Amino acid sequence: MWRNPTRSAVVVIAVLLGVWAGVFISAFMNGMIQGYLQNHLNLSVGHIQITHPQFEDQFNPRYHIQEPESVIKSLRGQDFITDIRPQTLTTGLAQSASNSYGVSIHGIRPGLDSTQPVQQYLQQGDMLQSISRNPVVIGSELADRLDLKLKSKIVLSFQDIDGNITAGSFRVAGIFDSPDNNFDKGNVFVDRIDLNTLLEKEGMIHKIILKVNDFGKAENFKEEIAGQFPNLRVVSWGDIAPELRYVYNSMDISLYIFMIIIIIALIFSIINTMLMAILERTRELGMLMAVGMNKVRLFTMILIETVFLTMTGAPMGLLLSWLSIKMLADTGINLEAFAKGLNEYGMSSTIYPELTASYYLNITLLIAGAALLSALYPAWKTLKLNPVEAIRKF
Amino acid sequence: MTVIQTNDVTKIYNEDQVPVHALRGVDLTIEKGEFTAIVGPSGSGKTTLLNIIGGLDNPTEGSVTVQGTDLGSLSDSELINFRLHHIGFVFQAYNLIPVLTSIENVSFVMQMQGRPTKECHEKSRELLQAVGLGDKIDKRPSELSGGQQQRVAVARALASKPDFVLADEPTANLDSVSSGELLDMMAELNEKEEMTFVFSTHDQRVIKRARRVVTLVDGNIDEDEVRS
Repeated sequence: MWRNPTRSAVVVIAVLLGVWAGVFISAFMNGMIQGYLQNHLNLSVGHIQITHPQFEDQFNPRYHIQEPESVIKSLRGQDFITDIRPQTLTTGLAQSASNSYGVSIHGIRPGLDSTQPVQQYLQQGDMLQSISRNPVVIGSELADRLDLKLKSKIVLSFQDIDGNITAGSFRVAGIFDSPDNNFDKGNVFVDRIDLNTLLEKEGMIHKIILKVNDFGKAENFKEEIAGQFPNLRVVSWGDIAPELRYVYNSMDISLYIFMIIIIIALIFSIINTMLMAILERTRELGMLMAVGMNKVRLFTMILIETVFLTMTGAPMGLLLSWLSIKMLADTGINLEAFAKGLNEYGMSSTIYPELTASYYLNITLLIAGAALLSALYPAWKTLKLNPVEAIRKF
Repeated sequence: MTVIQTNDVTKIYNEDQVPVHALRGVDLTIEKGEFTAIVGPSGSGKTTLLNIIGGLDNPTEGSVTVQGTDLGSLSDSELINFRLHHIGFVFQAYNLIPVLTSIENVSFVMQMQGRPTKECHEKSRELLQAVGLGDKIDKRPSELSGGQQQRVAVARALASKPDFVLADEPTANLDSVSSGELLDMMAELNEKEEMTFVFSTHDQRVIKRARRVVTLVDGNIDEDEVRS
């Protein structure tokens, strides 16, 4: 195998780079998709949502959760729930002196409820504290659209629980810029007491957003909670955003398809090299057949050489992948230049590549399988050599 | 004792298209301890006869018996195994494995026979000493001259303790000094060990040293001269 070091080195480097590129791109894609998923789950969807059974139809504020305090108290007793975010929710129109836009209005209690996810994306101002009367936090996209700055006046109009149109004048206390432009454009956050006052009903909660310790098991937890509150509608993130569930379910298979495409390319490269090696050694292989090397031994010899050649490059590629992923897992890959485009699709401009240990194991098994597969044809070609002709070659 | 016997061996290539008669009913008997040269012009069938005797090729008609075994009755795998244990080969172009040392080139044949590694190495060392390369056991083929490489090939042919050695033009790539030394060495092995050698050659130096010369012309034995 090492008789032609250049050729062997080319194969080893090809396998190394192929494995590294495949694994690293998989980690990059995984990080991107995970980021996309987590952005959506964190910002808006959560893992499980609880509402009045009829609320989701038209967001009618009349359909609020009865006795919300006791529901929240009961939820706090569940050890799998890691975060509870109650909110009053309605839809309406945000108007400024220059423009207007349809928005979802979230009534929250900063300081009392859990930390709101938008807080980490605040670019200016704060979460409703700096303005004493009717503060509002808006997204940067809405601020641009309505030409608003900190402390600018904005009027929110919507229906109260009796169906009457009502409106309130708010002042911008904070502006956030999340990775999702659509979210930034269509959501505003106000104090729940202010919103409930305008909706004409004190202490009202429309939606409780929950986070659980394992969002992959949200479906099971949902069933558990639904059993506790038969009069409320309990839905998981997969029910609310089936497109996210599809992304989540197809993530693994996408990564493997990607890796398999790279491995197929590698297989052809290995087959080509091994065929060249056999051609170069025709006379030697012919001699081995002539002096009595049996076919099983000959076949095994070529098989082992091919697998060894491949499996020399593969661990190096995996190690290089692991190192580069580990190095970038904390700092992330900054794609600020493409931030605008990525944010349009709800993706962060910083990608944190990540892969599970099981993926590395499966890739190693896949490569070992590929090595065996690529060895079969050259080994079979060797068996077809006629020793009499092979000895006289060159 | 008869080592090789060919009965009416005929070989026709391209039977379906333009048939070429390489051998036309060759009857040949080789006894143990012979030092036989098969000679003849190019295309006379020397190499074909050697390939058939060595079980590398099948006759179109006729049969070859080696030490009482009809080669035609053996399956492919039996024939490979038979070659491993009964026949030694020396090729014109040495055909050593370039990445192996002399001792490794000799011992791998014994390893294929399943003999213990220690025995393989000891025997290989002995054989290399016997062919005059006791001080070159760790050299690779690229570090040896043509004559030395062919000596390693002879040692390899003897490693399997064969019934006879077939050598296809063994001196074709050697200068006169190396050819002479190689022939001396093989003649000595023939005399001392009673090893049977069958050469195909048109090298006059080899023909002069042979004790029996079989001349092939157009696939037939034209002359069979036994020298005293």
